Amino acid sequence: MIAKGFTNPTARVEKLKRMIIDAVPYVESERAVLVTESYKETEGLPAITRRAKAVEKIFNSLPVTIRDDELIVGAITKNPRSTEICPEFSFDWVAKEFDTMGTRLADPFQIPKETAAELAEAFKYWPGRTTSDLASNYMSAEAKDCQASGVFTVGNYFYGGVGHITVDYGKILKKGFRGVLAEVVEALDKLDRTEPGYIKKQQFYNAVIIAYSAAINFAQRYAAKASELASIETNPTRKAELLQIAQNCSRVPEHGAATFWEACQTFWFIHAMIQIESSGHSISPGRFDQYMYPYLKADKAISKEFAQELVDCVWIKLNDVNKTRDEVSAQAFAGYAVFQNLCVGGQTEEGLDATNDLSYMCMEATAHVALPQPSFSIRVWQGTPDEFLYRASEVVRLGLGVPAMYNDEVIIPALTNRGISLRDARNYCLIGCVEPQVPCKTEGWHDAAFFNVAKILEITLNNGKILGRQIGPVTGDITTFKSMDDFYDAFSKQMSYFVHYLAEADNCVDLAHGERAPLPFLSAMVEDCIGRGKSVQEGGAIYNFTGPQAFGVADTGDSMYAIQKNVFEDGKISLDQLKKALDANFGYPVGTTLQGGVIEGGSLPSENTGGVRVSGSSPDIEQKVYEIVQKVLKGASSVDLTDIKSKCSLGLPPRGSGDYEGIRRLLDSTPCFGNDNDEVDFVARKCAQIYCYEVEKYRNPRGGQFQAGIYPVSANVLFGKDVLALPNGRLAKAPLADGVSPRAGKDVSGPTAAASSVAKLDHSVASNGTLYNQKFLPSALAGDKGLQNFAAMIRTYFDKKGMHVQFNVIDRDTMLEAQKDPDHHRDLVVRVAGYSAQFVVLAKEVQDDIISRTEQTF
Amino acid sequence: MESINYRRGGIVFDIQRYSIHDGPGIRTIAFFQGCPLSCGWCCNPESQSMKPVLLFNAEVCVHCGKCLNACKYGALSVKNLSLIDRGTCVTCGECVKVCPAGALVIKGKEMTTGQLVKELKKDAITFRRSGGGVTLSGGEPLAQSDFAVELLKACKEQGWHTAMETTGLASDDVLKKVFPWVDLVLLDIKAFDSNVHKKYTGISNDVILKNSVIISDIAPTVVRIPTVPGVNASAGEYEAICAHVKKMNGVDTIHILPYHTYGENKYSLLGEEYPMKGLACLSKEEIESLKKTVEAEGFKCVIGG
Repeated sequence: MIAKGFTNPTARVEKLKRMIIDAVPYVESERAVLVTESYKETEGLPAITRRAKAVEKIFNSLPVTIRDDELIVGAITKNPRSTEICPEFSFDWVAKEFDTMGTRLADPFQIPKETAAELAEAFKYWPGRTTSDLASNYMSAEAKDCQASGVFTVGNYFYGGVGHITVDYGKILKKGFRGVLAEVVEALDKLDRTEPGYIKKQQFYNAVIIAYSAAINFAQRYAAKASELASIETNPTRKAELLQIAQNCSRVPEHGAATFWEACQTFWFIHAMIQIESSGHSISPGRFDQYMYPYLKADKAISKEFAQELVDCVWIKLNDVNKTRDEVSAQAFAGYAVFQNLCVGGQTEEGLDATNDLSYMCMEATAHVALPQPSFSIRVWQGTPDEFLYRASEVVRLGLGVPAMYNDEVIIPALTNRGISLRDARNYCLIGCVEPQVPCKTEGWHDAAFFNVAKILEITLNNGKILGRQIGPVTGDITTFKSMDDFYDAFSKQMSYFVHYLAEADNCVDLAHGERAPLPFLSAMVEDCIGRGKSVQEGGAIYNFTGPQAFGVADTGDSMYAIQKNVFEDGKISLDQLKKALDANFGYPVGTTLQGGVIEGGSLPSENTGGVRVSGSSPDIEQKVYEIVQKVLKGASSVDLTDIKSKCSLGLPPRGSGDYEGIRRLLDSTPCFGNDNDEVDFVARKCAQIYCYEVEKYRNPRGGQFQAGIYPVSANVLFGKDVLALPNGRLAKAPLADGVSPRAGKDVSGPTAAASSVAKLDHSVASNGTLYNQKFLPSALAGDKGLQNFAAMIRTYFDKKGMHVQFNVIDRDTMLEAQKDPDHHRDLVVRVAGYSAQFVVLAKEVQDDIISRTEQTF
Repeated sequence: MESINYRRGGIVFDIQRYSIHDGPGIRTIAFFQGCPLSCGWCCNPESQSMKPVLLFNAEVCVHCGKCLNACKYGALSVKNLSLIDRGTCVTCGECVKVCPAGALVIKGKEMTTGQLVKELKKDAITFRRSGGGVTLSGGEPLAQSDFAVELLKACKEQGWHTAMETTGLASDDVLKKVFPWVDLVLLDIKAFDSNVHKKYTGISNDVILKNSVIISDIAPTVVRIPTVPGVNASAGEYEAICAHVKKMNGVDTIHILPYHTYGENKYSLLGEEYPMKGLACLSKEEIESLKKTVEAEGFKCVIGG
């Protein structure tokens, strides 16, 4: 037997899991109040000192919370799965949603009245003082205009902290926070006081000392709390646990870890405290199986079962972390996503296979806990043992949407192409959704923007205009274009224009973080901040990138190919006809779906359709069809018009009017990306490259390069609402393709063909990550043969140089059922984009999008 | 190595990638057009004709009438639901080109061995990684035996595993020409009783039974029983088939392929009535009971293949 199955989690893990599932997320006010108090006390001091003083106050005063049954302690919030607020980045959106955040569609959070009052009071201090205020003042009107029109958004770091990092957990495990203090003291000693840069460096070192002294105290406060709880605990087993917890917290992370339990506690303190210092999400554990394994191996006293329970407890804690976002972003990041990416397997810096016992225990923990966090990933290379891939496939079969799988054979060269050393590249981990990063050494700014490639095509088709306004350059009326070259020229010019403003907008936000939010606690765990004497936000890291991600690649490729084939090769329609059909949204009211549903939201004005149209209910459309048929058939003798009329009235679904519908159908039936057809696949490749090559021309204020990614989170639904009708037959406002995946429902030649198409894109130049979703029904993975075939599919995709793939193994009926009866399906976890989420907490539209992704069976 | 005629062509009605039920590993199936049998339960009725066929899907038709004007032969009309006069239609494809809805499709297209191999090569890595290969199916691949031989030789030249789904109806010469190139034969035996066989497939099974023994002498063979209620889904019929299989060379596995209705809607695309209309599928218990019968006869048994 290849399949080994999974054991059951312990009763403790079951209980902790239940606590997470049943938790009602709250917004809490303590951190916001403390940071505001601190900032009032530190007016006029250097930014790094103010940040140090702020984090000192928070570590010293944030409530200490130990939850029932926990073995690993340290809470960001009093209530499980809740969130603190970081007003120093932005706050307006929270204030706006005081009354509505508890009931909104995507990711609701409760804000009790007294919390709202405390926050409102704190917020009074912040107007004009936030990073987002500064970024906004840096930004040009043009860059803002692009964002208002739905071309791109840099909202992620505009509104919040940057996050998106894997710090040096290994360093702290080894020498503790005291080791960091020693490093900094030594650096202070060595300061060259003959060169003026020492002044700022000294401020940085002092800031680190303040932050880490408070950080040690934060853990000591937990030690005290555990002792206190132990003294009143009547259950002797729990009492012993609490005493051990107290001892652990008094030792780590101040000192290096001596046992596996201490190592797990150290990991968690670091991980939680980073998320207390700033609001940045995608704080990623990275290669947990690599830096934790030495402590498991060295711990001769621990039983295998207890070690597993500890890992399970870490997994639970990762699900206790939560972030709130504004209503629109909450839709884009639907599912309380916090993107803590943890990866196992792959190779060592030496280029040898890195798989160890802990890699497998992480898989077991994922099966035991079966919750959305961590975003669990595996690295695969030619030397990955089959056993490892089979085991990972067994986890996939559970239907949790994890692990996501990454191809070392593409990612390592992609990173070396960005100037990363081979040893460092071999040590990469994943951040957030799908972004490769060298851990402990990188400020990657991986989620720098969403960039809507399909919108660029729409602008190209409209000669630089967005809804009639000239925003991009004038690149010509497409009805005068003579060849595809004209299209590509115009598309490239528009791309170049808008990517320039994308880079500008990102760099404005980057500058604002450097000036207002340098983070001393985080920075001391990123090489070479201590050496350079500056924070990661100011360029202290060894590797610096800015990674905006694109979506709509398949839509753009399919549209370009549809023009190439139907206009220039087959001559079936003229550019004039095409343009008119697009302008008319193929005869459909803007904001309706093919089935007559309504799409709300987005920057495009909707036409009033008088509500949802019911299939076959529109007599004038039927009459119109009848008239057209009559016209076409004039002169054809053998036709029985009454017969057709009777068929028409049988109930046609709502359709676009007249010839536009014919054109739409023609475009829609053109071969498309996802079916292993070189002609169309290479068009998609070219469109993606145009974006990627444009992005990598730019540099950021930290001294690093821009690098493109192609992954959507779930923004493909949201940003689709900003895009008019496209030449692939897509109606205005409909969702765009997600990541590098083919358009939903368009990959009809089976999974090997779809994967082969995706692999034809140039993944290496999209070094900020690509995302490919495949959905399988459980039957395709049944039995050992299923596992073997599945593993073979993955190997094949990776042989062909695919970069990333993740799987939803779930049947459609289950999801439809869950939509109807969410209460009984709260445990249903699906892969949304770069992360997994509880299906029932997703917005209906995101749920629908997941359901409509092609189901691959056999 | 024998020379391969890559220009040798034939009619293929479909190529199905990622097939995981018709031989080891992940396979690509080349479906050959044309079959000498006409089984009532056939789930690929469009493959029975030796020529390409035009399918019409009334459900997606938008009644635009463009096809009526495009047809130069007067084979199309809207008088009857099936639209197509199959006696007149020459499958020239002019109507398909103008149909905006994709309601008209031609199944079956001429391909050379070279063209087909090019298509199959897309999954070469998949075959290697999964231990899969190419399966010839149909229709009946032996009905285009010259084409089948060239394709099989070409597959072997690529180092691919080859399998063939067949009913084994061919001359001795054809058998000896084709099966040395086949690594695994999936041989259908639809009934042991000759009258039953003739009634439901249109042809007596005398040659098929005789050939089954010859084939198993040449290539490793698994016997498959498409199992249809009221036709052969009985212990008696199964025992008779098993008794015959024991006379074949080295066959140790029998697949039960339970009757299903997935092909039913295709009959309407052809403008035909479904011959087995209303026939219920076998229950899980009935299938399990037949499996026990097979195992009692000493064979390994797989449901669904």
